[in-house]
Amino acid sequence: MLPLALSGVSISFPGLAQPVLSIDELAIPAGGRLAVTGASGSGKSTFVNLVSGLERPDSGAIRWRDTDITTLSESRRDRWRAANVGLVMQEFHLFPGLAAIDNVLLPARLARAVTAEVKARAHELLARVGLTRPSQPVETMSRGEMQRVAVARALLRRPGVIIADEPTASLDAEAGAEVGRLLIELADQEGATLIVISHDERLTERLDRRIRLATGQVVADTAEEVSP
Amino acid sequence: MIRFVFADLRRLWAASLVIVLLVALATALGVAVTLQERALRLGSARAADKFDLIIGAPGSETQLVLSSVFLQPAALPLMPGEVLTKLVADPRVAWAAPIGFGDNFKGYPIVGTTTALISGTTTGFIAGEMFAHEGEAVVGSGVDLPIGAEVNPMHGTAGEGGETHADSAYHVVGKLQPTGTAWDRAILVPIQAVWHVHGLGEEQHEGEEHEDEAGEDHHDHGHIDADAPLDERFDHDVPGLPAVLVKPKTIADAYALRQAYRTEDGTRAVFPAEVLTGLYATLGDARAVLMYIAYGAQALVAAALMLIVVIHIAQRRKQIGALRAFGAPRLAVFGIVWLELLLLVAVGVGAGFGLGYGAASVLAGLFTAQSGVRLSVEFTSADAMLAVAFLAIAALMAALPAALAYRQSPVEALRG
Repeated sequence: MLPLALSGVSISFPGLAQPVLSIDELAIPAGGRLAVTGASGSGKSTFVNLVSGLERPDSGAIRWRDTDITTLSESRRDRWRAANVGLVMQEFHLFPGLAAIDNVLLPARLARAVTAEVKARAHELLARVGLTRPSQPVETMSRGEMQRVAVARALLRRPGVIIADEPTASLDAEAGAEVGRLLIELADQEGATLIVISHDERLTERLDRRIRLATGQVVADTAEEVSP
Repeated sequence: MIRFVFADLRRLWAASLVIVLLVALATALGVAVTLQERALRLGSARAADKFDLIIGAPGSETQLVLSSVFLQPAALPLMPGEVLTKLVADPRVAWAAPIGFGDNFKGYPIVGTTTALISGTTTGFIAGEMFAHEGEAVVGSGVDLPIGAEVNPMHGTAGEGGETHADSAYHVVGKLQPTGTAWDRAILVPIQAVWHVHGLGEEQHEGEEHEDEAGEDHHDHGHIDADAPLDERFDHDVPGLPAVLVKPKTIADAYALRQAYRTEDGTRAVFPAEVLTGLYATLGDARAVLMYIAYGAQALVAAALMLIVVIHIAQRRKQIGALRAFGAPRLAVFGIVWLELLLLVAVGVGAGFGLGYGAASVLAGLFTAQSGVRLSVEFTSADAMLAVAFLAIAALMAALPAALAYRQSPVEALRG
């Protein structure tokens, strides 16, 4: 369970006058539930990339508890992300040809972090997301099932934070609701901080705090509305 | 990682198969050339093994060896028969035997020679026994004639308008064990019979001795005296001969004899092994040319492969980016790309060696069927080195696309 603190974070892309994302201060307590909304191009994906360490800001600090990931090298950020972040994306990025259980285990395997305990946990997670056939090839699954495999994969290494980027956008309403429910429920059970980028209101409404981005700025924050 | 690599290759099996085939064919080309050249070299050397020193009339040394060791039909000039008389009496000679060619039966060359040559160059009989009379014949293991079969010699070959010596016939009395030489396809008869068939021998005059046995169309016909006993004394009135095989007593004798008959008028002496060495140099040049062609083909395949892989990596940017995003170390991404490519090349090289071996074996089989010279296609440690070199080059080349994947930013990949 990791608290997040952003300060003075700014990132620009070459050729664009305005920063793509600029956040002076943002703090989420450990175990917090944050929803990030905003129109396309508002900087949501950049936000995900920054807080997950996929990308480094031009300036500012992104602290997960005591670790400022902006100071880490690319390889160390990879390692940190592998150990601390559970990513769920709009496109599931499952690997065809591999069974559900092998997809859950794949990143851990590539990082040489698979033990008997991790394997047992992978099976348990698949059961918890409601999948009964761990050996089923992922390409034979429905989209909702695929995203549930992706959720199980995200949780495998007991990450301190789960970051979901439009987890329900490519699912129908029913499957989307199910995945949304699972994310919140599992984050609770696992005690993970949860950050969800989504325009799915039925999902975002269930989270503690919602911020809205527009042209790289936080333009609305439910936390400030509640405590002026 | 291995599991992922295999799943990936299984999913892309068609493309993988094409790559494996390309690599296999390029490898097989070089392997087949190498194996075939080696088989020819070793096979011909083995075939010439028992032929220490050959003495013939002046002319092409290569032709003398090809005709006597490999029984290649050719019009050899004749040398005087006294050469044999002298050789037989020479104390440096263990045995000397005439080799007389010219006649054929069903495509098998009929070779007139002596019991000494047959005993000295073969390991014994599968069936039957040595000829003891003028009308008897011994056949090599590759001759498809049973004991008791009748052999009607034909002068020249049927294709060249040869004629049958209708009134002369041999009876097969023995079949020799295989020797892996051209002589396995020969019908061996007493030399005196060959002389008699062609109207040569004791009652002939000096003037006819220089007749070209293989080439003449109009020549005197004689008859085999089928029941006449063998006469292998050669001490007087020996007709002209195309070649004499000499077994010297010692190596020193061999050199001394060659020296003596090389300088003597009307003869020439050759070590078949030496002539073959010269031929191998030519064979080696041909091999070198073919190998350069093979290397060229391999370089083309390697270049095509690199192109395919680099394009493939570009197409899979997203997948690779996702692997990184989910926590796969960069080194693992490098490893996957590198391993997949290396695995395909390794399978291809393995299959190529098999394919090359198969092709060389088929060619060797065809050659053996035609010439009788047994070629054994075999790998040596040099081939293992070649395989290792191929794999080392593949490992280096695979590192390039792997490095591309390694350097790729996951964010850009996922965005694109």
